[in-house]
Amino acid sequence: MRKKTTIAAIIALSVLFALLCSSAMAADLAKKQVLNIAFDAGDAKNLDPHRATTTVDRSTVDPIFNGLVRYPPGNQVKVEPDLAKSWETSADGKTWTFHLRKGVYFHPFPKQPNGYELTSEDVVYSLQRAANPDHSSYAGEYTGITVKAIDPYTVQISIDKPVSPTLFLAKFANYAGGFIVSKKALEAMGNDWFKTHPIGTGPFMFGSYEPRQQTVLKANPKYFRGKPILEKVVIKYMPNVASREFGLRTGELHIIEGLNEAKWVEKIRTFPDVSVKTFGPCEVQMLFFNMANDIFKDLKVRKAVSYAINRSEVADFMGKSLAVPIYSAALAPPAPGALTKKEAEAAGVVYENNVEKAKALLKEAGKPNLKFEAIISELATSYRKPMVALQAQMKKAGIDMKLKVVDHSSFHSLIRKDASPVVYYACWRPNCDVFLTRFYYSASEVVKGKKPDTGFSHYGAVDANGDGKIDSIDGLIEKARYELDAAKQSKLWKAAQIQLLKNVAVVPIIRLKYAFPMKSYVDIGHPLDFSWETYSPQITEKTRILAH
Amino acid sequence: MFKYAVRRILQSIPILLIVLTLVFLVVRVLPGDPAVAALGDYASQESVNALREKLGLNQPIWMQYIDFFGNLVTGDLGKSAITGYPVARQVRRVLPFTLELTFFAIVLGYILGIPLGISAAVHRNTFIDYFNRIFSLLGLSVPAFYLGILLILVFAIIFPLFPVVGGGDFWDLRDNFRHLVLPGLALGLLMMAYVTRMTRSSILDVLREDYVRTAHAKGLLERIVLYKHVLRNALIPIVALGGLYAVVLIGSSVMVEIVFSRPGLGKLMVGAIKQRDYTTLQSVMVIYAVMVVIINLVTDLIYSFIDPRIKYN
Repeated sequence: MRKKTTIAAIIALSVLFALLCSSAMAADLAKKQVLNIAFDAGDAKNLDPHRATTTVDRSTVDPIFNGLVRYPPGNQVKVEPDLAKSWETSADGKTWTFHLRKGVYFHPFPKQPNGYELTSEDVVYSLQRAANPDHSSYAGEYTGITVKAIDPYTVQISIDKPVSPTLFLAKFANYAGGFIVSKKALEAMGNDWFKTHPIGTGPFMFGSYEPRQQTVLKANPKYFRGKPILEKVVIKYMPNVASREFGLRTGELHIIEGLNEAKWVEKIRTFPDVSVKTFGPCEVQMLFFNMANDIFKDLKVRKAVSYAINRSEVADFMGKSLAVPIYSAALAPPAPGALTKKEAEAAGVVYENNVEKAKALLKEAGKPNLKFEAIISELATSYRKPMVALQAQMKKAGIDMKLKVVDHSSFHSLIRKDASPVVYYACWRPNCDVFLTRFYYSASEVVKGKKPDTGFSHYGAVDANGDGKIDSIDGLIEKARYELDAAKQSKLWKAAQIQLLKNVAVVPIIRLKYAFPMKSYVDIGHPLDFSWETYSPQITEKTRILAH
Repeated sequence: MFKYAVRRILQSIPILLIVLTLVFLVVRVLPGDPAVAALGDYASQESVNALREKLGLNQPIWMQYIDFFGNLVTGDLGKSAITGYPVARQVRRVLPFTLELTFFAIVLGYILGIPLGISAAVHRNTFIDYFNRIFSLLGLSVPAFYLGILLILVFAIIFPLFPVVGGGDFWDLRDNFRHLVLPGLALGLLMMAYVTRMTRSSILDVLREDYVRTAHAKGLLERIVLYKHVLRNALIPIVALGGLYAVVLIGSSVMVEIVFSRPGLGKLMVGAIKQRDYTTLQSVMVIYAVMVVIINLVTDLIYSFIDPRIKYN
C-alpha cells in the first residue's frame, strides 16, 4: 500500500514539475509571436519554389515547402529524412525507392479548404514539373530522371546512369527543384496563381501577399513535425538599407538583410539588443577570362593578370569578418570537392601576388601596356567594390582595366552575349558538379554552346594553353558525376579545377558571408553557421521570439 | 464654364496620347531584359527565351504598341510581367495611401504656411520675417526624404513615438494616422515652405495696391484690412498654385514612400523600374500622367471660382 502511495506521489510530483517547467518555458516567450523580416528587395518575384531564385523568394518558400529529404537547419552537407521517412537503392544504383511519411497534409487552398494528404502522385507531379523548363528554372538538373508512383506512399526514381548519393539526394532535398508542390492546387488554380499563392506542406503556409509591401506566412497547425511556435512570419520588401536599419532599431523589424560590408556590420553591432549573424555560404566571387577574346587568348596574359591580383588584400578590403580568400575554381571549402589553399599550393596554381612577375609576363606576351574595359554590375558589394580593388591592384602592374558599370539586369544580359573580356561573377551553386557544368562544360559556353549558360571562359571550345588543341574538362565532369565513391568523386572535381587553374581560365577571389542583424531576443531555433539551402536565417517550427 | 471644362478635357487627350507614347518608348529604352530580371541569373537561356515569348517581348515594337493602347482603351492595366499579379489590384491598394499622404501634406502645408506667410509679410524686415524666411528656405532646401530620416531619428529612435515601417492598416484610423504623421510631416514641411513664401510675396504685392491704401484711408481696422481686403486677394495665386505644388508633392512622395517603406504609387513605380516590370511601370506612369492632367484641369476650374474676373473664352 505504502509502495503504491510512493509511486503515486512520484508521478504527481513529476507531472507538477513538468507543468512548472512548461509554464516557465511559456513565460520565456514573448506574447506576440509575429516575426518581421525585411529583405533588400522591391518585391517578390516568384513564390513558385521551382522558379524562386532570389534571396527573398528562396527565403519565403523555404518554410512553406518540404523535399523528400532535407539539409538539417544550420547543418552543412548531410541529409536527413523529410517527406520521405526512408529510402533504398537498387543493386545497380539506378533505381531509388522513397517511402513517404503518412499523415502529411498540404496547406488549404480555395478548392481544398481543409488541405489534403500528400501522396506519391504529388511527388511524381512535382519532380516532373521540376524537369520542365516551361515551369522550372532548374529543369536542366532533372533531365534523364524518371519518376513513378508504386503505391500512394512509395515513389520510385530511376536514372540512366548511377550517381553518388551526394549528387542524387541533393536534387530531392529542400532546395529549388526538390521542393514538393501540391498537384491539386496547381491543377485547380493554375501556374500563374501559384506564383503568388504557394501551397506546400511546410511549417508555415501562405497567408497573404501585398505587392511591393509584404508577404505574410501563417503557422501550419497540421505540420508533421509539430505546430510552429511563431504565429506569423511577415516578410517585408524594403530595398532601402537605412529604412531596414531604422525598423530594426525601433523593434518593428526583428531580422533584416544587412550589407555585406564590414564597417556597416561593426556599426550595427553597437546597437543595443541587436546581434549580427554572419554565416555561409553566401557567394564565391571569381574573375573569369573570356579566352575567345583576343585580349585574353594568350595564357601569359592571363597569368600576368593573376599575378597582379592580391586576393587577401581584396578580402581585407571587404572586411575580415565577412570575406575570406579562395583558391578553388568551383565553390569553396567546406563544399565537398572544392580546392583548399594547401591543395592549390601543392598543385602550383595559386599565382600569389607578384607585380614584377606580372610585368615580365606582359612584356613577354608583347602587351606591356594591357588595356581593356570590363562590364560590371551596379551592385556594390558583389561587383563594384571588389572590382575597384582589382582595378587598383592591376594598375600597379601596368594593366589599365576600365570599368563600365551597368544595371544588374543588363549586366546579366550583356555577359551572356560575350560582351566583356572578363566577367566578375558572384554566386553559389548547390555542388561542384553543377558549378563545373554551368561554368566550364563545353555545351555551357555562352552564345555558341549547345545549351548556352554561364560558360564565360569558353572552356571546352578554345585552346587554352596554346598547344594547338582544344582544352576541355568535360570528361572529368562526367566521370565525377557518375563516380559513386565520394572520395574519388571529390578527387575528380579537384583534378578538373587544377586543370582550369593551370590554364588560368579563372581567378578565384573571395567567398563572402551573409550578414543578417537580428534582435537578440529572436531564437532561430538552430545553430547558424552554414545555411545550405536558403540565403537567410532559416525559419522553422522551432523559431521563436523570447520575452523582452 | 461647362463648355470650357469639356474643351479642356478634349485638349487633354492629345497631351495624354503623347505622354503615353513617351512612357511606352521610355520603358522599352530602359536597359536590361525583363525576362532575365524575372527569372534570375540561375535560369537557363531556354527558360529566358520561353518567358520572352510569353511576355510578347519578341513581337515587333509596333505590335507591342498596339497591344498597349488596345489594353488601355479597354481599361485593362494588365498583369505584372514579373509576378503575374493584376496591376489594377496593385494600384487600387496603394493609391489611397499616396492620395492620403499628399492630401495630408497639402493641408498641413496650408495650415502652417499661410499664417507664417502672413506674419512674415505683416512684420516685414523684422526678426519674425527673417525667421520665417529662413525656416521656409530650409524647408525648400532640405529634400523631403532627408527630412524624413531626421524625423525618424528624433521621433522614432530618440523618442519612440511613431512607427517607421509601412503604412499600417488603412481602415484602422488610429494605426493609419500613427503611420502617416512622420511621412506626412516630411512632405508637409516642404509644402509649408512653398506656401509661406508664396503667401508672403503675394500679401506684400497686394499691400501696395490702391484699394488697400483706400481702405486704410477710410480708417478701417488693420485686422479688417488684412483679412477682408488683402488676404482674400492674395490667396488667389496661393490657392491656384496649390495644384502645381500637389504635382511636385506627388513627385517628392516617391522617396518618402521608400524611406518609410510605405505603400504607394512611388514605391510601386521604383520597384517596377528595378525589376524591369514593363506592364506595372507603364500603368503607374499612365496613372501619374492622368493625375497630373486632372489636377491641372481642376486647378484651372477652381481659379475661376475664386477669381470672378477670369472669363473663359
